[in-house]
Amino acid sequence: MLKAQTSLGVIFFPAFDWAISPTHPEREERLLYTQDQFREEGLFDVEGITEHRPLFATDLDIMRAHFCFPSVQAICTESHRISAGGAIQAARLVLEGETRRAFALVRPPGHHAMKVVHGNRGFCNINIEAVMVEWIREHYGRKRIAIVDTDCHHGDGTQDIYWHDPDVLFISLHQDGRTLYPGSGFPYENGGPRALGKTINIPLPPRTSDEGYLYALENVVLPILADFKPDLVINSAGQDNHYSDPITNMQFSAQGYARLNELLKPDIAVLEGGYSIKGALPYVNLGICLAMAGCDYSAVREPDYNAAALREEPETMEYIKQSCGPLLDGYLHPAMGDFEKQGEFFVRERKIYYDTDGILEKQREELKDCDQCRGVRLIKSGSSHLLTCLGVELPIDCCPACEREGYDAFQRKGNEFLVTQLLDQKNKQYRYRPKE
Amino acid sequence: MRIGIDIGGTHTDGVLIDGTRLVAAAKSPTDRDNLLESINRVLHAILAGQDPVRVRTLNLSTTLSTNAIVTGRIDPVGMLVVGGPGIAASNYRIGEHFHLIYGSLDHLGTETSALDEQDLEEAIAACRDRGVKCFGVATKFSPRNPAHENRIHEALADQADFVSLGHLVSGQLNFGRRIHTVYYNSAVWRTFRSFAGALSASLKGFDLQAEVNILKADGGTMPLARALDAPVQSIFSGPAASVMGILATHSASEDLLMLDIGGTTSDIALFAAGDPLLEREGIAIEGRPTLVRAIHVESIGIGGDSLIHFENDAVKTGPQRLGPCMASGGSEPTLMDALNVLGLAAFGEVQRSREGIAALAEGHGSTAERLAQEAVDAAVNAIAAKIEALVRMVNAKPVYTIHEILEDREIRPNKLIVIGGPAAVFKSLLAARLGMEVIVPPLHGVANAIGAALTRTTSYLALTANTSRGQLSVPSLGIFRKVQRGFGLEDAIGEAKNLLKADLEQAGIDIPTEDIQITQADTFNMVEGSYTSGKNIRVVAQVRPAVVARLDNAADPVSF
Repeated sequence: MLKAQTSLGVIFFPAFDWAISPTHPEREERLLYTQDQFREEGLFDVEGITEHRPLFATDLDIMRAHFCFPSVQAICTESHRISAGGAIQAARLVLEGETRRAFALVRPPGHHAMKVVHGNRGFCNINIEAVMVEWIREHYGRKRIAIVDTDCHHGDGTQDIYWHDPDVLFISLHQDGRTLYPGSGFPYENGGPRALGKTINIPLPPRTSDEGYLYALENVVLPILADFKPDLVINSAGQDNHYSDPITNMQFSAQGYARLNELLKPDIAVLEGGYSIKGALPYVNLGICLAMAGCDYSAVREPDYNAAALREEPETMEYIKQSCGPLLDGYLHPAMGDFEKQGEFFVRERKIYYDTDGILEKQREELKDCDQCRGVRLIKSGSSHLLTCLGVELPIDCCPACEREGYDAFQRKGNEFLVTQLLDQKNKQYRYRPKE
Repeated sequence: MRIGIDIGGTHTDGVLIDGTRLVAAAKSPTDRDNLLESINRVLHAILAGQDPVRVRTLNLSTTLSTNAIVTGRIDPVGMLVVGGPGIAASNYRIGEHFHLIYGSLDHLGTETSALDEQDLEEAIAACRDRGVKCFGVATKFSPRNPAHENRIHEALADQADFVSLGHLVSGQLNFGRRIHTVYYNSAVWRTFRSFAGALSASLKGFDLQAEVNILKADGGTMPLARALDAPVQSIFSGPAASVMGILATHSASEDLLMLDIGGTTSDIALFAAGDPLLEREGIAIEGRPTLVRAIHVESIGIGGDSLIHFENDAVKTGPQRLGPCMASGGSEPTLMDALNVLGLAAFGEVQRSREGIAALAEGHGSTAERLAQEAVDAAVNAIAAKIEALVRMVNAKPVYTIHEILEDREIRPNKLIVIGGPAAVFKSLLAARLGMEVIVPPLHGVANAIGAALTRTTSYLALTANTSRGQLSVPSLGIFRKVQRGFGLEDAIGEAKNLLKADLEQAGIDIPTEDIQITQADTFNMVEGSYTSGKNIRVVAQVRPAVVARLDNAADPVSF
């Protein structure tokens, strides 16, 4: 009988009664065949691999990670709270020492959800990893956390949430943004002025296969992790780099995914995308679970797997090798970005489109250029569907001056904003103030 | 009238029940080498002065299969196993004749590599050379497509005395458990068959014309004729019989806990609004998980004979047992002796209990009373902790829908039924510790036989339909047939009920349709590209364990 070398808790929550729409990729059927594969393989009969139910994320859990406008209730359905609750359960298992590692195999996904949320982008409403990370920091104190996003799409939501946070290293490996949604994730996107180099983007050319992907992992991701020395490594584990995925163009395999996790050794993995529900997910998920548990995964193979046919072209491999050196250098010696300053504030003005819900958000972010702390952050955000709202964020190391300034902004009388939300990491205060 | 017999490790118990009335009960030591003789002795006792022709049903719970397995007195089994990609089948190697045959199916039942006929031929030849006559056949994903298993069955032809096919064991997916289950089923087949033959002959000698049923670990019965093909289903029926015995004296419409305190161990079971908690997939034997459905029974190493000892200056009770309590002539003080010292019991030679406990206390600078109290507290706390963990586990069981997360009722038992030797003694102690009502029903130590007598047939099937491929399957009944595109969830539920009912009728059992429970009914829209190609439907139907009558004279004295 098989035994796990590293105990693994799996939060398997297929949400068999939830879909974005009946034929949407994000539908009830998505994890059905993964469940069949797990059951037939007897995954939970392996000593040391256990199955757990998700917890339920509260308003407060979500308000630690997001500015949901106009309210948490307007953005989140039960499905999102349970999916985030699955990630929280994974964190709880690991941080309480019940299992050495955990995999939240939950849906719907979250890595396209940004700091401010008006609706659904790229199948995501709330960022379940971020809700989990904030839950960890709330209950277990300040930590250095590395999130490695292995979904085929750029993890633009997670990048946005931790853009200014030097405690969180965000690395995304994805299909080149010039060829795939959301069209971002270029090496020059390397973090805000207070967290330079703590965002790393590794775009990979279409049709990258196991060798190229693992090359980038071993030559860029692992050296950076060795330097950053995180307390926790989180794999934001999308499965859409798979050669059979219907909405991407990569050639990664179940063997590749298993090897990736064997090398990365994530403490926690959280499922993101991946929509080849019959041809990939059953095998990729099995491979990830076995690899995370330290079990032999050498026989996990798709029925139509053909390594020779999937191998990347020599030019593709050469391109990847050429790009890895500068990427590593970009972490060690990050180039100062083109930050716009207005008075004492770094300012960003952006338009963000929510493809699933057809919402266009207009946002202005002001980050105080403070020499005592990371600086108070004000985000003014309105959309095609909503009047302007204000988010006030006080960082964990907030200085008294920024703290005063933040609370002044939060409590300022007037009708300028529909709602104002406070996210005070220092004093752990999270609340809304409606318009008077 | 109904007869219930439970052959346990030490005692064989029997009862005769007329309607709701316990007519006779008997207890006799079990002769492990001659179970039939043990049965005959209790039959003789309970049928004294009765008309045997009036007995319609005889239900038997026997350790025959369990004992054969744990003592290794089993037939060699030729295992013919087809694995394929994934967790390697070699991890489930079992027995001396384990053969891997190349071939594979995927999770939809599609053949992804053909069965290797040469591998098969060599495996069968190897078994022939070693004189193996019983076989177990299991392929990965056979409930989705039994073709490979059927082909192997065909290839064995008349070389086999008996073949267990994996897909017939259960419609449930779990390859490793399927391998173990067919192995044990074939391993005990011959032993069970010869016992059944002798039993039938013996019953004729008593003028009994009753239908004979064998108890299963899920607390229900199966007709003897069915048991001949599925003897593995009879393992671990003893604890299940006790649970059903309690049900026969007490309605379990609410959440309820049951505790059976024995000499060495105590068993804990849980009922959720009338339904006994079952093992999620099946019970394990020799550390090997199977697909045999079973009532979930938590065992804890605490009983009347549990040794009292010191561990780092803390008083421990159990899990060791060195012998009977000192009050019964043992040499070391046990939990029963502590109860004697505290005046909670007056069992056997109370003075010997006092001396033993006092001697142990003296060596550790304590007094007899204090030590006895600490020993009893340790036992009660250990039982309570086990009960609390069980309730926690049930409420934390994985679920797969948002509806279940939001609507699931918390299981919150506030009643505990205790049976077994020292049950009465523990009544107030457990009530105080657990804060729940504790009931000790008068069952004269034959709850197991009462449960055996009064329990009914249970059955179970899993139906899967894939209308995109036009397939319907009920593996345990060997049904794999075409289905129309318009087949829906309601059709599937109706079909599952009809098939379950028809299968029981074929075995001579009439179960009203309303007694058939649907425990899973899911339908999934299957999408190819961006259009709906069909539905994937999953339905599970069962006849749950229940008693046919509730005793109304359990409290009356019965002569043994």
